[in-house]
Amino acid sequence: MSDILVAEGVGKKFGGFVALKDVSVSFARDKLSAIIGPNGAGKSTFFNVISGAFPASSGRVTFEGRDITALPTHEYARRGIAKSFQITNVFPQLSAHENVRVAAQMQKTRYNLWTPRARIRELIAQADDLLERVGIAAKRNSVARDMAHGEQRCLEIAMALACQPRLLLLDEPTAGMSPEETVRMMDLIVRLAAERTVILVEHKMKLVMGICQQLVVLHHGELLAQGSPDDIRANDEVKRVYLGQGKH
Amino acid sequence: MPGNDTPRAASVWRLALAAIVRHRVAATILFLMVFPWLVPYHALAINILIWGLFALGFNLLYGYAGLLSFGHAALLGVGSYGCGIVIVHFGWPWYVAILCGIAFASAVAYVIGFLAIRTRGIYFSMVTLALAECVYYIFYKWESVTGGENGLRGINVSTINLLGFEINFLDPVNKYYVMLGVVAIALWIFSRILASPFGAVLETIRENDARAAACGYNVANTKLMAFVLSGAFCGVAGALRALHLSTVPVEVLQISTSGDVVMMALLGGFGTFFGPFIGAAVFQLFGDVLTLWTTHWQLYLGATFIVFVLFFPRGIWGSILHWLRVAKS
Amino acid sequence: MSGITLDLLLLQIVTGIALGAVYVLVALGLSLIFGMLAVVNFAHGAFFMVGAYMGVWLFAQTGNFWVCLVLVPLGVGAIGLLTERILVRPLYGRGIDYPLLLTFGLSYIFVEVVRMIFGLNGIPFSTPQGLTGAVDLGFGHFPRYRLFLIGATAVIVTALYLFIEKTSYGLIIRAGARDPEIVRVLGIDVSKIWLVVFGIGTGIAGLSGILAAPLQSVTPEMGIHLLADAFVVTVVGGMGSLTGAVVAGILVGVVVSLTSLVSPEAGRVSIFVLMAVVLLVRPQGLFGRTGALG
Repeated sequence: MSDILVAEGVGKKFGGFVALKDVSVSFARDKLSAIIGPNGAGKSTFFNVISGAFPASSGRVTFEGRDITALPTHEYARRGIAKSFQITNVFPQLSAHENVRVAAQMQKTRYNLWTPRARIRELIAQADDLLERVGIAAKRNSVARDMAHGEQRCLEIAMALACQPRLLLLDEPTAGMSPEETVRMMDLIVRLAAERTVILVEHKMKLVMGICQQLVVLHHGELLAQGSPDDIRANDEVKRVYLGQGKH
Repeated sequence: MPGNDTPRAASVWRLALAAIVRHRVAATILFLMVFPWLVPYHALAINILIWGLFALGFNLLYGYAGLLSFGHAALLGVGSYGCGIVIVHFGWPWYVAILCGIAFASAVAYVIGFLAIRTRGIYFSMVTLALAECVYYIFYKWESVTGGENGLRGINVSTINLLGFEINFLDPVNKYYVMLGVVAIALWIFSRILASPFGAVLETIRENDARAAACGYNVANTKLMAFVLSGAFCGVAGALRALHLSTVPVEVLQISTSGDVVMMALLGGFGTFFGPFIGAAVFQLFGDVLTLWTTHWQLYLGATFIVFVLFFPRGIWGSILHWLRVAKS
Repeated sequence: MSGITLDLLLLQIVTGIALGAVYVLVALGLSLIFGMLAVVNFAHGAFFMVGAYMGVWLFAQTGNFWVCLVLVPLGVGAIGLLTERILVRPLYGRGIDYPLLLTFGLSYIFVEVVRMIFGLNGIPFSTPQGLTGAVDLGFGHFPRYRLFLIGATAVIVTALYLFIEKTSYGLIIRAGARDPEIVRVLGIDVSKIWLVVFGIGTGIAGLSGILAAPLQSVTPEMGIHLLADAFVVTVVGGMGSLTGAVVAGILVGVVVSLTSLVSPEAGRVSIFVLMAVVLLVRPQGLFGRTGALG
């Protein structure tokens, strides 16, 4: 299958409130895709379901052909799916380097009780390398909570990359960033998408139109449209929803 | 310029402290080696050694993994009983008895931890307190094995055969140094664990366990492992206490013991290596010194504890480390 | 297991309900304080004990049990108000462990102060006049005082329910429990609500202390023993849920009472087994939700 992540009839209810209804989407492998839609469309809810933050109320999600609908959160990183959070979520009192190093050590040495971690050079080098890739190598020793917002978001991506994911899920990666930071972040995302599948959640249409190969449009918790940017641009429904306030 | 000498003096202290933190095991053991000569009587030194190790075990779970247990009395007590029972009922040698104490305490830690970790975080303290109370009740009633309300008596180890040397265990100085040997090994292992990749995982769970899970760490399993390890260290302390007192008083399993270790850990400094021993020392001195003036020393203990919670949550050692801006060990 | 008749079972169940009544009151206060303030009050047993001693002292002064029942919750509640204002409030925002640790330290002070004033040994508190003797329930004779206890608890629970569900102040409390931010935005002083809730919670604890006093020895340590049981009830019922406190309190009381028919030891251990079962099957408690009242 060339589809790396498939959602079939996914629904999510919170008490009586239906956040998602019967969403069926396939994400192609090695493409840069984005989930878009107006505020309240259910983008974050859908993201949280496919990234394991909470389970779907109905429907199925498969990753590389295997069912991950009821998978516990910690299994995601082990299976090759990594995510960043909508509100920056790092280890506040640890240094940037330690944040990434501890994310990287998950795969090989998590239950090692004996070896001093300062001596595991491989992981230290890997962490430094990742910090370099996202552009915050200079902040290696800064305490995470003291870093600037944009830097923290880059740190989160470095941590996500540390488990060598085949699928990278990013929830509004440019939220709260200045225009310069946004440009840098989008450049980084394009570079990362060259090596793996990346799925974004974004509500700024302009950012994703130019760089994504696949778009999924949600509205009121349902799938409105999916396809290439050209398909979406030509789609009347989408135009109405975004430009005409989408009254339903 | 005001305080011309202060910068240099402070930096000397800072260097000294940095050295202590880097070689924390050696520094602690060195200090503990001369310790008996600093205190008015040797039994006090032995008590501080034992309670310090107990507080260290507790600290692994709270200071490093962020889990506030109010049931650690069960671990200390089961360690004591485990060691004492195999000596009294089976006549096994002291070193096997210590290992038995560790094993029993770890097993109880597994059971309590398994139940307590399942719940929401806020219940943890309550569940551990309740389960420890259950352990107390069981041991209190199981008179044939534990001696019931009179405690377990007859843990008589008078000589220790160590590498061919016959040591008179009844001499308090000898007793202290034999125990220090055991504690030193425990400290070394403890330090290795903290410095290991697993130690890093513990810290991430304390910092942000949702993030740790997103990184791929099984948070519940890690917490349970931390609980069992904590139980092992508390088991050592319990076993040593049984050997020291030659009895296991059933009061060791009461809630007050769980409360005592929480106080010691706070007074010394949560999340520091040396803090538990300082906390144990302060706590023992409170009990020993204040009792000379008033029978109501618990009032001052409670008040001091509250003052620390409000104004010095880092504890004594933690505050010192913070003040001199050295990274916590 | 011969000799267990239906009558005996019914009697044990009613005994269990009476036992559970004290648990209900203590757990109500705990859950109320947690649901509203996110504080686990480790001094709750101490407030219970202070209530018992205050009742003993007031009774010695006035000779009137009913007056004590009114004054004790007010007195203990006042201590609770002071505690919240001076000691607990500075700790909000520092994580849930700090108020817990502080109240734990406070319990040491309460116990020691009581020891200083009243001595180390227990004080007997005999059943008040008019509530002594037994009542014939049809399936057996049951102590009149315990019936009174059940009745008093029912009254208190109903009063609390009416207050929370039917009054506008109760509405604010419920709203504050669900979303303190909204309450603040609406211009209501949340800190005053915290104060009042802590006072009510501890006041109920004190009231349960004096109500329980005729049934057990009034000692400085009586609160410590109660604390473990109170925690079991709260975990079983679900922290923050008042319905849970009531249901779990009665359930625990009845379970203890019935298993005591097998042996007294079984009775004591049964509550921990019950807690373990709940933890395995429904870890959030029977009625537990995320920090909401009701």
